[in-house]
Amino acid sequence: MKVSDVISGALFLALAAFVFVYAQTLPPMPGQRYGAGAFPTLIALGLGGFSLLMIAQAWRRRAGTRWVALADWARDGKTLGNFLLALALILVYVFFSERIGFIPLSIAILLILFWRQGIRLGTGAAVAVVATLAIQFAFSDMLRVPLPRGLLAGYLW
Amino acid sequence: MESILKALALIADPYVLAVIAFSAAFGLFVGAMPGLTATMATALLVPITFFMPPVPALAAIVTASAMAIFAGDIPGALLRIPGTPASAAYTDEAYAMTRKGKAELALGAGVVFSAIGGIFGTIVLVAAAPLLAEVAIRFSSFEYFWLVCLGLTCAVFIAQSAPVKGMIALFLGLFVATIGLENPAGLPRFTFGTTDLMGGIEMIPAMVGMFAIAEVLRAMARTQAHLPPPQPVTGSIFKGQWALIRKYPKQTLRGSAIGTAIGALPGAGADIASWITYATSKRFSKEPEKFGTGHVEGIVESGAANNAAVSGAWIPALVFGIPGDSITAIVIGVLYLKNVIPGPLVFEKSPDIVTALFVIFFLANLIMLPFGWAAIKTFKHILRIPREMLMPIVLMFCIVGAFAITNSPFAVGVMLVFGLLGFLMEENGFPVAPVILGIVLGPMLEQSFVTSMIKSDGSFLAFFARPIAGALVAATILVWVAMAWRGFRRFRMGGAPAVSG
Repeated sequence: MKVSDVISGALFLALAAFVFVYAQTLPPMPGQRYGAGAFPTLIALGLGGFSLLMIAQAWRRRAGTRWVALADWARDGKTLGNFLLALALILVYVFFSERIGFIPLSIAILLILFWRQGIRLGTGAAVAVVATLAIQFAFSDMLRVPLPRGLLAGYLW
Repeated sequence: MESILKALALIADPYVLAVIAFSAAFGLFVGAMPGLTATMATALLVPITFFMPPVPALAAIVTASAMAIFAGDIPGALLRIPGTPASAAYTDEAYAMTRKGKAELALGAGVVFSAIGGIFGTIVLVAAAPLLAEVAIRFSSFEYFWLVCLGLTCAVFIAQSAPVKGMIALFLGLFVATIGLENPAGLPRFTFGTTDLMGGIEMIPAMVGMFAIAEVLRAMARTQAHLPPPQPVTGSIFKGQWALIRKYPKQTLRGSAIGTAIGALPGAGADIASWITYATSKRFSKEPEKFGTGHVEGIVESGAANNAAVSGAWIPALVFGIPGDSITAIVIGVLYLKNVIPGPLVFEKSPDIVTALFVIFFLANLIMLPFGWAAIKTFKHILRIPREMLMPIVLMFCIVGAFAITNSPFAVGVMLVFGLLGFLMEENGFPVAPVILGIVLGPMLEQSFVTSMIKSDGSFLAFFARPIAGALVAATILVWVAMAWRGFRRFRMGGAPAVSG
């Protein structure tokens, strides 16, 4: 997805304005003139300045460019679907990994992605299980990372 | 001498040697796989090194990055697809050699001159870093402020076709660095009352997001093209290499020297080193007309240069804590996590680790010869691994790697946000490396800025008063003016898009 530099510049400018206003609310350090707000203020000025510059540059050559142009992948249902699916699956992991647990969730995520990539179910299932167990072994057993057990709590070694 | 023995003892540990062997294989695999970059190899390793002591952690990163940069040559020569961007400059040349039946010579030159360049860069690193540190030790917060400014600006200036977008990316990274409690005043900033944001945005999940998840998303958004079968490699790759060394000593030296220098410049890494040296090689060649037709000379020079750049990038990283490229930006984050604070004092505070690091560099470039040979011989089998399967597994690995840093799903969320951000930025022509540089260097820049302001009682003039600071100011401002001039000219010319390179 390509958006015009005018739009992305405006977004960055808005972020800069927000950082600037927020920085002014931070109190100075006792006895000093410069506190927690000084550095963010500088950043806001820099970010805002360069955003304005970019908007100005893009405005001059706006003729013939579109505000938002969808890339090929975003028009094709299959690639767009794959892209959104990957994002959605990470989100599912963020919110449900504690409850479901790493092993079942990882196998499910891999299986779904393999299926979308056109890999045969049998092969996909085998690789999903092996890859999940390998990651579980490497991180949980060797590096002692407490990967969420979720549904399998009580059954795992 | 004593510290060399100590360093050798640190490395001779079977655990460290196993880490080196594993990272070498991993780096070769990632580098040889079209679509996976050396930066991604480093990004994927970092969550694992998080759990290691400093020496094996550094060994893993050094070995994997050196191997990945070399391994990018393999698919370049055999498929005409560069494995990493650092091999792109001479991919056509190497493939032309393969078409002429000289694949062995092209690949052999890739390995041998990569190793030579890497060792050259290491020698410069060993010699120059401690000397520079003696100068740097006299630096005060004023000098550091300008040094970081200079480093960050160079990062944007050298590599970028669109400096304005680079600067925006940089300020975005600096902003991200201000989130949380970690600031001179110890006040929560931009946390909006959430405890998750109090600790700030962790560098590792952000980096895994920008360098690996963005890559995964790009692969998802593209229909995988099936790779053609690679050209077979049957003969000995080392045959004729000695003759090449004797025939092209000047090219080898020039490539290594320019590569090291470009690597040491903040912000420019192996990719740019190989483009520039391929051009110098052609420019000074006695037979420039042969370039592009399968002539090995350019591969000798730029093959040496891209690996020399990997070593060279560590000079500013170790001495000043300023990254030479995106890999060392990651490294600096790792060093901080290991409590090895990069800077001039690192040579006094952690001499064993620094010496061990130097030894690892030599070792990594030496084992490149046997490991590289093995990778070339097995490349056909490496390619059999279906790439459609690789990306989902990489995705799962990233999720677990990000989670492992803080043991919280919040880090996975951070990774997702930065992955999406990195993807959208690249689609719109924003470079992502400056964001990571900003996140890594932001705290140091703020610390030196606030300390300086307090010391000078709020006078901006003090930033220009000291002699070394003055020189750094001059250099920084020069780069700024050059950048503004370039931007201004482009603006006058009706905003013609910049030529990349």
